[in-house]
Amino acid sequence: MIKILYILKKEFLLIIRDIHAITVLFIMPAVFIMIMSLAMRDLFELHGAVSIDVLAVNQDAGKKSEAFLKAMDALRTFRFHLIEKEAAADKVADKIKEQMLARDYKFALIIKENFSAFVEKNGKGKDEKPLELLVNPAVNVQTQLVLKSALDGKLAKLTWDAFIDRMGSLLPLAGIDREKMTAAEESLVEVHYVYKEGRYSKIPSAVQQSVPAWLVFSMFFIVIPISNTFISEREQGTLMRLKSMNVSRFCLIMGKMAPYLLINAIQVIIMIAMGVYIVPLCGGTALTLGDSMGGLILIAASVSFSAISMALLIASAARTTEQATTVGGVLNLIFGALGGIMVPKFVMPGFMQDLANMSPMSWGLEGFLDIFLRNGNVSDVLPKSLYLFIFGVVMLTLTVILLRRRGEI
Amino acid sequence: MIEINHLYKSYDKPVLKDVSLSVRRGSILGLLGPNGAGKTTLISILTGVIRKESGCITVDGLDLDRELKAIQLKCSYVPQALAFYRLLTAFENLEYFGALWGLKGKKLKERMEFCIDIGSMQRFAKKRVDKFSGGMKRRLNLAIGLLNDPEILYLDEPTVGVDTQSRNYILETIRKINRERKTTIIYTSHYMDEIEQVSDDIAIIDEGKIILHGDKQAILTRDDAVNNFGHRTLEKLFLKLTDVRLRDEG
Ligand SMILES: Nc1ncnc2c1ncn2[C@@H]1O[C@H](COP(=O)(O)OP(=O)(O)OP(=O)(O)O)[C@@H](O)[C@H]1O
Ligand SMILES: [Mg+2]
Repeated sequence: MIKILYILKKEFLLIIRDIHAITVLFIMPAVFIMIMSLAMRDLFELHGAVSIDVLAVNQDAGKKSEAFLKAMDALRTFRFHLIEKEAAADKVADKIKEQMLARDYKFALIIKENFSAFVEKNGKGKDEKPLELLVNPAVNVQTQLVLKSALDGKLAKLTWDAFIDRMGSLLPLAGIDREKMTAAEESLVEVHYVYKEGRYSKIPSAVQQSVPAWLVFSMFFIVIPISNTFISEREQGTLMRLKSMNVSRFCLIMGKMAPYLLINAIQVIIMIAMGVYIVPLCGGTALTLGDSMGGLILIAASVSFSAISMALLIASAARTTEQATTVGGVLNLIFGALGGIMVPKFVMPGFMQDLANMSPMSWGLEGFLDIFLRNGNVSDVLPKSLYLFIFGVVMLTLTVILLRRRGEI
Repeated sequence: MIEINHLYKSYDKPVLKDVSLSVRRGSILGLLGPNGAGKTTLISILTGVIRKESGCITVDGLDLDRELKAIQLKCSYVPQALAFYRLLTAFENLEYFGALWGLKGKKLKERMEFCIDIGSMQRFAKKRVDKFSGGMKRRLNLAIGLLNDPEILYLDEPTVGVDTQSRNYILETIRKINRERKTTIIYTSHYMDEIEQVSDDIAIIDEGKIILHGDKQAILTRDDAVNNFGHRTLEKLFLKLTDVRLRDEG
């Protein structure tokens, strides 16, 4: 037992003093998480809240336009930038057009004087169109349609609610529940995002994707310190010394695994902390962790086990450190590119998603996403953990066979 | 007492061919041989690092095949390479290897202090090893081998690449350990003068065979050990026995 502690201490000191290992294990993923979380924030948020900027002027003589703008804001799809109301009604169009071009807006909305009258079907201009939309012709039709139907929808709801209000006193007499007649505020359409793995109501935000992705990626880079120490132990005769000292095979393998399991665990903690605390400080959204600590530990431990086993195999098969780090690095890049680390899996075409399933990094990443994003628990990550575990056992077995054949353990 | 009988080992080609040798308890055996003679291979087999193919080896009556563990506990092997961690300090290296020997607490401290003393490393024990000079590294390599206070010490070319002062220091240390602890020492080298200086017995190995083995005095007084100037040296004998051809030319 004491032995293991000293072995841990030794490996830790070796890693702490190995600047390459520190860079690859801790600095690289931290930097990637920061950059990707911030750089891709808006890209990912297309699925959450798109922000379309609309210049607007409110000429409404009544009060209904305020409720309308509030309802539009609640959609969180548009940002209205109101300009000052124009006293001379005939100058409104010119003024907003001028501003729209000067400030490079794609849309400008004029809420006309008769807006409240139209909604309440009462007063001057109650039958005239209450909204005018100015559109930059460069805007694509889809975006324009999104805005137009949102405006139509909210206007219709407002008009209907006003109608119900006017009928208010009559409804109970007719035995109709007024509550049930008002139109729902929320959308009645339930949206699910579907990709090969299943059907989710959430798509990762930039930070939700980046943290687990680069975490898994960097955990596999444990191959760098493992090869550095293992191969130099072999080259420099330290392994001979250890063997002559009657250090058991179990101790040798555990002495290689245990310290790196801990290093991986520290990576997990640091990268999650990055997502939760540091990214929001810099203007990104915060990472949410889900609520299954057990699931998180299980998937993290499985990723760690498979990464270390693969690293041990590479370190045993390679003759020089350069060979090991090159092979390990390239293999990791391929696993990463394939496994949805660099390009999120949900944007991949179907056949690439199938291919992604061949990468152990993808199993790990999906496991973390199960926990962070889909509120999964132990049983949700169990299959992925099992894959990773089997992968690790295969790698480890090959390592032991190889080392025994070479008489090194 | 180490007894080696008809030891055989091959890699791609035979490396040790029918080696028989015995080492007296408490003596220093100088194992002399040109490059590729099989010195490291022989020591690696004796320390359980690699396996022999055939032959019989006993150490203090214990059979190497059946009681390797017990044998390993009383031995220590100082490899030809600098077998420690470059990124650790001398102190941390000693602590690590000491712990692997199963030492702990006060006992570990004591042994570490002893080794730091004997390697004369007090001043740089807390410095990282990659900053050490060649001589310091060799002394550390040796010191690590003394952590378990071995009964039998295998030293594979312990003075390669060091200056005269460090070499002398190392040789004296070896004699001192032998004298004070009654440690049996097997010492390989290509340097004749070293072997002459430290060993009680000498064995010469060439191309996997022991071509000469005996008491140092007896060997040095042989007629064919006299050089052109009338001095008796091992070098003359060595060249004569192994002939002058370069060995790593195949
Ligand atoms: N792992 C191995 N695989 C194949 N051949 C080996 C291996 N180890 C040693 N040899 C060969 O065995 C022979 C003896 O090697 P060994 O290292 O025992 O010689 P040595 O006497 O220690 O030489 P040196 O003085 O150079 O250290 C050499 O020809 C070497 O090439
Ligand atoms: Mg050798």
